[in-house]
Amino acid sequence: MSVLYIALPIALLLGFSSLVACIGCLKTGQFDDLDAPAFRILVDEQPNHVKRGEIDG
Amino acid sequence: MKHPETVFCCAGCKTAYQLIQGWELDAYYDLRDQLGSSRETRPGSNQGCEIFDNVELLGQSAPRDLGDGVMESRIGLQGLHCGACAWLIENAASRTPGWISARVKMNDQTLTVSYSPETISLTEIAQLLASLGYQPVPILDDGNDRSQHENRAMLIQIAIAGFCAANAMWIAIALYAAEATSVAEGHYHFLRWASTAIGLFAVVFPGRTFFRGALASIKTRTPHMDLPVALGLSIGTLVGLFNAVSGTGEIYFDSLAVLVFLLLIGRWIQFRQQYRAARAVDLMIRVTPASATRIAGDGSLQTVSVQTLIRGHHIRVAAGESFPADGEIVSGSTAIDQSLLTGESAPVERRSGDKVCAGTVNVLRPVDVEVEATGSESRVGQVMSLVENASDNKPAIVQLADRIGGVFVLVVTLLATVSLVIWYPRGWRIAAEHATALLIVACPCALALATPLAIAISLARSARRRILIRDGNLLQLLAGKGTIWFDKTGTLTRGCPKVTAVIGKQTDVVLSLAAAVEQHSVHPIAKAIVDEARQRALAIPAPDAPSEMMLGGIQGKVRGRTVRVGNREFMQAHHVDLGSVDRTLIRQAECLAQSPVCVATNDELVGVLIVADPPRENAKRLLNDLKRQGWKIGILSGDNSIVVESIGRRLGLDADQTRGAISPEGKLDAIRESQRAGEVVVMVGDGANDAAALAAADVGIAVRGGAEASLHAAPIYVASGQLSSIGELFRGASSSRSLIYTTFAVSLAYNLAAVGLAITGNISPLIAAILMPISSVSVLAITLSWPTFRETCD
Repeated sequence: MSVLYIALPIALLLGFSSLVACIGCLKTGQFDDLDAPAFRILVDEQPNHVKRGEIDG
Repeated sequence: MKHPETVFCCAGCKTAYQLIQGWELDAYYDLRDQLGSSRETRPGSNQGCEIFDNVELLGQSAPRDLGDGVMESRIGLQGLHCGACAWLIENAASRTPGWISARVKMNDQTLTVSYSPETISLTEIAQLLASLGYQPVPILDDGNDRSQHENRAMLIQIAIAGFCAANAMWIAIALYAAEATSVAEGHYHFLRWASTAIGLFAVVFPGRTFFRGALASIKTRTPHMDLPVALGLSIGTLVGLFNAVSGTGEIYFDSLAVLVFLLLIGRWIQFRQQYRAARAVDLMIRVTPASATRIAGDGSLQTVSVQTLIRGHHIRVAAGESFPADGEIVSGSTAIDQSLLTGESAPVERRSGDKVCAGTVNVLRPVDVEVEATGSESRVGQVMSLVENASDNKPAIVQLADRIGGVFVLVVTLLATVSLVIWYPRGWRIAAEHATALLIVACPCALALATPLAIAISLARSARRRILIRDGNLLQLLAGKGTIWFDKTGTLTRGCPKVTAVIGKQTDVVLSLAAAVEQHSVHPIAKAIVDEARQRALAIPAPDAPSEMMLGGIQGKVRGRTVRVGNREFMQAHHVDLGSVDRTLIRQAECLAQSPVCVATNDELVGVLIVADPPRENAKRLLNDLKRQGWKIGILSGDNSIVVESIGRRLGLDADQTRGAISPEGKLDAIRESQRAGEVVVMVGDGANDAAALAAADVGIAVRGGAEASLHAAPIYVASGQLSSIGELFRGASSSRSLIYTTFAVSLAYNLAAVGLAITGNISPLIAAILMPISSVSVLAITLSWPTFRETCD
């Protein structure tokens, strides 16, 4: 059972790293708009618009 | 699921629906143009797109060069309703050559476009957006950044609290298991310390906002819901910490962490809804024309920003535009719609030498004006400063929940003392343990969530029904009783005149002749005549030559005959014999405050059209409904007393409830007078003449079609333009009040049960940890299923 002394801090650390990642996403504004992205996947990709790729890339 | 005739919330939904249906996917552009023309547009909505030509007028929206011949610009968009709008606009971008990409941000209603200026200009993109039904506006200031920042900060706090709550809970499960079975002493204490550390972190960092709130509440001596929350949190933390150090007794850190997490979520939901509504209203204010056409010294015309205008400048104002500044007409004569200032529906004549006010609309012909006052010095500016004073002098509304919060602290402290006394014979340690347990389980989590959730759901649902509420606390006032003052023009009436009767031997001929000469005029009466002719499906003959507009009337040639349409003075000036019968008829119409419009062919009177601004169809029903709910109703109008009284009579109001011919200041006095009587005063109106009254009233409700100025003053905006929405608003308000009461009752019942268990000494951390989320979930479930602002049967 003494594995608990290692397992618990590791589990907390794993959770903490995802918390840091989540805060990072928040700070870069990825959670600013919760409505539009759901519809954005419906916009067709336009293969003939080469410029589009340039901007996104 | 839906039929094609279904009403859509916006152009985006409609187009999205049709595109998804697979209709005319290739005919996208046809569809778009159809949409652009059929959709109801704001006056002059397509104007103002030219502003995007002039980089200096764009403020924050000025395009940035991204290199490779690509420019990027961020512009504000009015009319975004849901994700489908974003979809439509982004789809439009990918189908327009030169327009490389569009990113819509729903939350701050902006659009970031990138385009190649060689193929398409920003103005063309703006026009395209306007034709899709979205009004593009340049972003001048970025007051939005602060709210954005606040939103992110709140979400970060929620993330931290969520992390703490989840970890504290799984450690708590291990602790319950440890208590049920036997476990090594070392492990048990290790888990307790881990839980303590996490709980302490949650209370100290994300939870500090409640302590700050409680402190402010003590300082200002106003009760607040944060007070009992902070009491529970601090007692729980102190005792938990003490027990963790001493190694015996209960620690409640899992409950505390979950408490902080749930309460922060409630707070964020409320913030988000209020911010959204405020944002939508702000954007509409921004649409006021920011540019003017200045006549330079050499006589050339240039578009300049209104801010650059100074006294003595000469400007040209085209027909259909509003005056950007106060001034004197130096050349030309026209008719002016002053409804913004006076509420008067009929345009008044102004010629060279007369004064004009900023914000009034030039309806007839272009005129040149010498600028005398701009901005805050203009008449409208002065009314606006009245507005600001009026809104500053309003007392804050104390939420019902906050009042309960104050009482709650007293009751809970009292109960804790009782429990301490009861258990004292069994030793002070046991007594203290039970008292602490009581303080923690009585912490009103569900109670604190109830109001934010109820208000958030009401705001979200009302916004879907096109009623924007900037301040959710106002719903509480609308659910009560008091006095409602209505503005007349544009609120109880349509605000645009309508042909109510046609008198003559051949009514259809009279109407079609009048429509023929009036069809290219922008005068509201001309529009009323043409609309009526179209509605009756009459053929409108093309005039032989363009009609000539004069003061008081219009003259044109149709099928070789001279046709004159105008008022009595106009007819007399052109020696038309009005005939004795018609003369009495005209007098009669004038007494009823309806404008008679005479139609004559070749100097002979053939008919009279009665043009009036009638009350809206459902106005009477609305007023009766409100009266039944216990509200006192009155009309305040700048319009002529006889008109106001006759409208009031038709709506079932007594003469003493209708007040006509009063100035903006007079309206303010009427509101103050009702407030002195200790009543809740609601003002429903539009136009800048109501702005001060809207701001001074306890609740100001602006109705669509009015000036943007009123939106500045009114915390509630009815964007649907339907009078029935006002009835809906009042029904929704009383429904959300009963929702708040119900959820209060439910959460108090849970608290009562928990307190009972604590006093009898039957509470354990496990029971506390189960009771709290259950009470919050029941409050959430009741709130979501409550029929606030839902579709009604009628």
